[in-house]
Amino acid sequence: MDYSLNDEQLTLQESFRKFCDKEIKPNADRLDKADHAEADKILRQNMKKLAEFGYTGMFHEEKYGGTAKDLITRCVAQEELAKVCAASYLSVGVSLGLCGLFIAHFGTDEQKKKYLPKLISTDMIGAFGLTEPEAGSDVMNIQTTAEKKGDRYILNGSKTYIINGPIADVAIIMAVTGKPEEKGGNVSSFIVEKGMKGFSAGEHLDTMGHRGAPTSELFFNDCEVPAENLLGVENQGFIQAMTTLEYGRIGIAMLALGISVACMEESINYAKERQQFGKPIGKFQMVGFKLSDMKVLIDVSRLLAYKAAWLKEKNDPEAATMASIAKLTATEASTKISGWAVQIHGGYGCMTKYPVERLYRDAKPGEIGEGTSDIHRILIARDVLAKY
Amino acid sequence: MDFAFTDEQLAFREQVLKFSQNEIAPLSEEFDEKGEFCWEAWKKMGEFGLLGLHFPEEYGGANADVVTSCMAAEALAEGGADGGLTLSWGAHTFLCADTIFVHGTPEQKEKYVSKLASGEWVGCMALTEPNAGSDAASVATTAVKKGDRYVLNGSKMFITNGPIADVCVVYASTDKEKRHMGISAFIVEKDYKGFGVSKTLKKMGVKTSTTAELYFDDCEVPEENVLGEIGNGFPMALQTLEWDRSALLAPFVGGMEFVLKQCSQYAKDREQFGRPIAQFQAIQQKLADIKCFVEAARLLVYKVAWNKDQGSALNHMEAAVAKLYVGDWGMPMISEAVQIHGGYGYMHEYPVERVFRDTKLAQIGGGTSEIQRMIISRLLLS
Repeated sequence: MDYSLNDEQLTLQESFRKFCDKEIKPNADRLDKADHAEADKILRQNMKKLAEFGYTGMFHEEKYGGTAKDLITRCVAQEELAKVCAASYLSVGVSLGLCGLFIAHFGTDEQKKKYLPKLISTDMIGAFGLTEPEAGSDVMNIQTTAEKKGDRYILNGSKTYIINGPIADVAIIMAVTGKPEEKGGNVSSFIVEKGMKGFSAGEHLDTMGHRGAPTSELFFNDCEVPAENLLGVENQGFIQAMTTLEYGRIGIAMLALGISVACMEESINYAKERQQFGKPIGKFQMVGFKLSDMKVLIDVSRLLAYKAAWLKEKNDPEAATMASIAKLTATEASTKISGWAVQIHGGYGCMTKYPVERLYRDAKPGEIGEGTSDIHRILIARDVLAKY
Repeated sequence: MDFAFTDEQLAFREQVLKFSQNEIAPLSEEFDEKGEFCWEAWKKMGEFGLLGLHFPEEYGGANADVVTSCMAAEALAEGGADGGLTLSWGAHTFLCADTIFVHGTPEQKEKYVSKLASGEWVGCMALTEPNAGSDAASVATTAVKKGDRYVLNGSKMFITNGPIADVCVVYASTDKEKRHMGISAFIVEKDYKGFGVSKTLKKMGVKTSTTAELYFDDCEVPEENVLGEIGNGFPMALQTLEWDRSALLAPFVGGMEFVLKQCSQYAKDREQFGRPIAQFQAIQQKLADIKCFVEAARLLVYKVAWNKDQGSALNHMEAAVAKLYVGDWGMPMISEAVQIHGGYGYMHEYPVERVFRDTKLAQIGGGTSEIQRMIISRLLLS
């Protein structure tokens, strides 16, 4: 047992925190409020800087240009980025994690060589397409089809809520290749590139939170994908997605945690400075106690996320449920915490000038993306009923 | 970062779990019903070596670290031991015996620790008073030196093991003007003149632990029974309370694990509207939330325990966070567990009813939730 971070992790935490405070944090407000064109430009700059620091490389093997850090080390860094800019965190996470890891786990060596170095350098940006207009929580209901014709697959259908959709150079797309009645075992994953015939992205969708992470629909209209762009073997898509999404769940837990920590830090500073009734409002129990509840939920979120990461690192079968527990707990904590943060800030908290206003909007999607809270409760309960 | 227990710890945990399931759980039900302390369970715990677990071998202990002590406490509760028994154990082992072990003179340790570790004697700790609860520093009990003895006057409230204790660590004021820095600790034995139980208290939960109001009426305590230094009692009490916020929390984690098992089995067996209630989302939601709580609480408690084992300085923040979470986030969960059981959960016959009553204490004993929030917010704002 060891609840401490090692020296390397502590050093990284310190240097990356400084980097984020200097390079990413000052742009977070503008990224949130700029129009889509300007926001995309800021985002790309942020991504470049993160690549230069080495953040994007942590997720991948050395031979593809990465530094292959363990999951706990990644979590340590993820918290720092999430604290300063949820939008950048999400875009990079989708590009390197959901898209990049999918290729790293199931791609051929050639595919890895082709995409991973460029994803790491952020010369290429990746997206991941599973959700559809009629297939949200009910993911097995996806309707996009991929029909094999000669040496290519023909894709038809659409995807929605795709982060990085408008700017993606490459996307992992899940489509039905098997019989409709074989739900769960009839989906395959494909690497689709920008410029392939019949593939297009929709306009930016306007979102409540992490507004700087460009989000859109994707359309496939007799889209032709070379047969070698199939990832792994046919009809294994859901199993592939489930194992990769465990990383995503830990990633969302860390995003929520970062938001929570930012909310607490803003609230502590405000509670010390803001005077009412002749004393700093932090001295009033109703304010101070909100801060203490923030601290409790932050500690809980961090420990659960680390535990899930630790299990996943060992390929422990318990990792899946723990990732759900961490994701559920940390995201619900961050919506509560961001709500308290706005409350502590009073009228100022409702003003866009104060960061907690953005944090409040950034927190909510955590309860929805990567499996809603409701879906995770079902998964956790299923595990409890099987084991207890 | 490494969350693994050693094989040895896991094997020991398994032994305690079996012991609890086979030897203790059947007694817990019976004695909770009667609201009595169970000497049979207590003796069995002594024989098993649990009462002196973390003391060195020379005192009859097993030299267990804090993490292992927590595991034992967790496993006891997970096996079905009631919160009263684990509370008595905690008050005896940690709040009394450990305080003497840490702060006592060689003679005091020789005289008291071995007998407490074996279970021959029962120990208790007395800090709280009728008018000094959360405001613990305002103790009114006085100790005045007269020759080679101290004369104690006052009363102590809500003292776990009070009615059955042979040895009591008592905190009293030796210098009123210095307030909390004028508090000192004394070892008081059952037979000392002027010391006794004024009332045995009846409680909502943890019924198999006995609780008393104690009186000190010109109680004479020999000078050699001063524990630690005069005026150093309050920091000692705080150090002792660290156990309240670590090893004494572990039974609540084990208790909730026990409850989750009860809930899962009940939900699978109980049929309504033609199917097991486990198939309804309303029930699944509760099961999932209880599971999340158990996992989180366990991580917090072992973090405190692990840090204690590293010999780190007391981390008041961490301990308060763990205590607050277990109490304030645990209570709604045990309420949900009763809810899953419906009418049956309201009946004595089902253990969730007992655990519900036992759990309420987690928000009050060892510093209320509000006190934990005061500690946390103060530290955050400084």
